[in-house]
Amino acid sequence: MFETGVRQLSMARSLIMGSRFNVRAVEALVGDALATLREFGAPGDDVQQLLDGPFADPEIRRNLQDRSLRRTVRRAAALTPYYRALVRQAGLDPNRVGVDTIARLPLTSKDDLRERGREFLADGSTPFMTTRTTGTSGAPVQVWMSQYEARLWPALAALAGVLRGEIGPTDVLQVNISSRATAAIHHDSAVCRLTGARLCLLGLIPPGESLKALRDNGATLLSTYPSYLAELIEVAERTGAAPTTLRRIDCGGEVLSPALAERAQAVLGAPVVDTFAMTEVLPVSARRCRAGHLHHDLNSGYVEVVALDADTPAPAGEPGRVVITPYYPLRECMPVLRYDTGDVVRALPDSEIDCELAGMPATTGILGRSSEIRAAAGHGLTPRIVIEALDTLSGPARAPRFVIQHQDTEAIVIVDAGALRGQAASALAELLHRSGARARVEVLAATADPSALRAVRADLRETTFTHIPAGSSLRAHSIP
Amino acid sequence: MNQTLFQLCVVVGGAWLTAGAALLYFTHVRLERPAIGHFNGRDVLVVFVFLVTLPALYVILPEAVLTAFLILTFVSALTIGYRPLLSSTPRWLIIGALLGANIAVTRVGLGTVRGWQIYWTLTSIVVLLAVVAVANLYVQGGMQLRHVAWFALALAVYDPLFSIVIPLSIELADRFAGFALDPSIGMRLGALNANIGMGDLLVYSLFTIAAYKAYGPRTLPAVALAITVFGCVIPSIAPELLGSLHRGNIGFVVPAQTFFGPVAFLLYLWWRRRGVEAPMSEWLNRATPAETLPASSKTAELVQAVLP
Repeated sequence: MFETGVRQLSMARSLIMGSRFNVRAVEALVGDALATLREFGAPGDDVQQLLDGPFADPEIRRNLQDRSLRRTVRRAAALTPYYRALVRQAGLDPNRVGVDTIARLPLTSKDDLRERGREFLADGSTPFMTTRTTGTSGAPVQVWMSQYEARLWPALAALAGVLRGEIGPTDVLQVNISSRATAAIHHDSAVCRLTGARLCLLGLIPPGESLKALRDNGATLLSTYPSYLAELIEVAERTGAAPTTLRRIDCGGEVLSPALAERAQAVLGAPVVDTFAMTEVLPVSARRCRAGHLHHDLNSGYVEVVALDADTPAPAGEPGRVVITPYYPLRECMPVLRYDTGDVVRALPDSEIDCELAGMPATTGILGRSSEIRAAAGHGLTPRIVIEALDTLSGPARAPRFVIQHQDTEAIVIVDAGALRGQAASALAELLHRSGARARVEVLAATADPSALRAVRADLRETTFTHIPAGSSLRAHSIP
Repeated sequence: MNQTLFQLCVVVGGAWLTAGAALLYFTHVRLERPAIGHFNGRDVLVVFVFLVTLPALYVILPEAVLTAFLILTFVSALTIGYRPLLSSTPRWLIIGALLGANIAVTRVGLGTVRGWQIYWTLTSIVVLLAVVAVANLYVQGGMQLRHVAWFALALAVYDPLFSIVIPLSIELADRFAGFALDPSIGMRLGALNANIGMGDLLVYSLFTIAAYKAYGPRTLPAVALAITVFGCVIPSIAPELLGSLHRGNIGFVVPAQTFFGPVAFLLYLWWRRRGVEAPMSEWLNRATPAETLPASSKTAELVQAVLP
C-alpha cells in the first residue's frame, strides 16, 4: 500500500510536471494493480481519474495542455535538427508555446518524416528499435523508439488494461497482425509479460490456421485488422470452426464497418472494439465509446482537428484532419510536433457528447484519409461508404476488394466480383446513391489484374509451409 | 489483589469493547480505498518499524510537540475512519470537541478522582474510535490474517524486550500518565488506576476482523477466548509473578503480546490448514447485497461501463 502510493505519486508527478517516468515504478504498478484485483476483485475509488487524468475540468485540462506543449516544443526545438529549424522559421518562442500559439508551427507531414527521418532523432537519444508503417497508404515511414519508450508505453497500456478489465492473467491474446508491425508486436508481447496473460503471435497466416489456433489455445482476446477479421469470419462460417472462448476482438488500422462488427460478434462470439493507434504518433491512442465517438487520450498528446485545406481549426461538425503532438516525456527519441495523420474526422461540440466518457473531447470515428475525402469532393464517395455498402449488401465476410476512380462529378467503383457475393452491381450502386454519393459500379473483368484494386492489410499474407500443397517441389526442396 | 482485579476488569472490558466495535464497523461500513494498492507484507514491516520507533520518540519529544503529534495522529485516524458515516461539518465538530475536551480536562480537572474518571472516559472514547478506524483501514485495505499473525508474533518479541530488558515501555507509561490524549483505554476507581495500551487494542481488533474476514464467523469464539485469556487475564495476573512490572496504584506495564502473539500465530496456522484465507472480494460478495453496493463496487461498475 505505502509503496504503491509512492509509485502513484511518482507517476502523477511525471504526468503533471513532465519529468521522465520511472519505468520500473510504472511496471511495478501493473503488479500492484493485479494484486489489488486479486484481493478486492475491482480497483478502488478514483480509478477513472488515475486512468484518464483530471481532464474533465476544462480549466485544468487547458493548463496541463499548455504546460505539456511548452515542454514538448522546447525539447524538440532544442534537440532535433528538424524542429530547431522549423521553430526558428516560424518565429515561435518555445517558452511561450501553448494551445493558443501552437498553430503557428507548420504541420509535419508523412513526407517530411519519410524523407528527413534522421533530422527528427533527438540529440543524445539512444534509438533501440525501429517500427515501420505497413505502407498501405504509400511508401513506409520508419519511426525509432528508445529503450525507455519501448518499456514505458506497454507498461502504461498494461496498467490501463488491467484496471479496465481488458486484460489479465487468465487471458490468452492471439495476435493476427503483420509481422512488420514491430511496435505493435513488441507492445503486445510486453503487455502480456507484465499482466501475466499468454500470448500467441501468429501474424497474417492462412485464416484456417488462425481459427484452429484460437480454439486450440483457448484465446480470449484477438488483435487483428478488419480485413483479416472478415477473412476469419468467412472461414469460420464455411467450416463451422468458430472459437468459443473469445471475449473481445480489437481491430484497427482500417475501416471497420458496423456490419462487420455485428457479424464478428455473431460468428466469433465476441464484441469488436474499433481501436485507433498510429505508428507515427505513438503512444497517443484513442478509444471508441459506446456512442461510437472517438476519444483521444489527453494524457499522452495534444490533438487538433484542422480544416481539410487550410491550417486552421475545423469548425465543429465539419470534416477536418486529425493532427497530433505526442508529449514529452512519453515520446522522447523521435518527437513529432503537429503531425498530420491524414485521417479525417468531424469534431463534436462538447454539448453533444453525452456518452460514458463525457467530459473528454471527442470526434466522430475516422471518415477516411484526407486524400480520399478531397478526391470525393465532387461526388461524395469515400472508401468507408463503399465498404459499409458492400458489407451491408453482401455480408461482411471476405475483405471487400475494390477501387474508386474519381471523375469530376461522379465516381466509378470497380469491384471484384467476389466482393459482391452474387449480388448485382446495380444493387450496390443503389446503396451508394442512397448514402448521397454519385457513383456508378463496374465489376472487374475476370482477365484484369486484381492488383489494381485497393490494397488491404490482409493482403500482407504470411504463407506458412503447412499451406503449401503436399508434394509440391517447394516443400520437397526447402525443408531440410 | 484489588489492583489486579480492577486491571482485569478494565483490560477485558476495553479489549472486548474495542474488538467488538471494530467488528461491527467492519460488517456495516465500507471505507474508501485508493484505485491501486492493498496492504501487503512490506506494509506490515513499515507499520512495525513505525511502532518500534514511535515510543522512543514519545519519550524524548517535548510535551508541546508530543501533544501536537498525538492530535495529528488522532485527527487523521478519526477523519478517515468516520468519513463514510459523518459528513464533513459534524465530523470535524465532534473530533474537535472530543480532542479539545480531553486536553482541557487534562489541564484543569485531574485533581480529583471524578476528574480522572472524566479524563479516562474522554480518552477511552477517542482511543476506541481511533483503533476501530485504523484496524478497519488496514483490514479493509487488504491486510490479511497472515499479516496480523506475523505482526503479533513480532510484537511478542518486541514487547518483553522493551518492557523488561530495555524499560522503554515503563518509561512511556510513566510519561503518559495524566497526559493529554494518552493512547490507552483506562479508568480510575478510588486509588486504583488501570489501562490497556492502544497497540494491544489494535492487535486484538486487527486479529478479530482479519480472522472474521478470512475464515468467517466460526473463528470468533476462538478469537474471543484468545483475547480474553492470553491478551487480558494472563497479562493481568503476570505482575503478581513479575514484580518488576508493578507500578503501584498507577497500574502495570505488561508485555501482553508475549502471551497473545504466539497464540494468535498458532490459531492462524490452525485455520490455514482448513484452506486459503478469503480475500476481501470474497467477503464482500458474501456480505454485501447487490442493491447496497459500497463505493468501491460502484467504481467497479463504472469501470465495466467504460469497457468496450
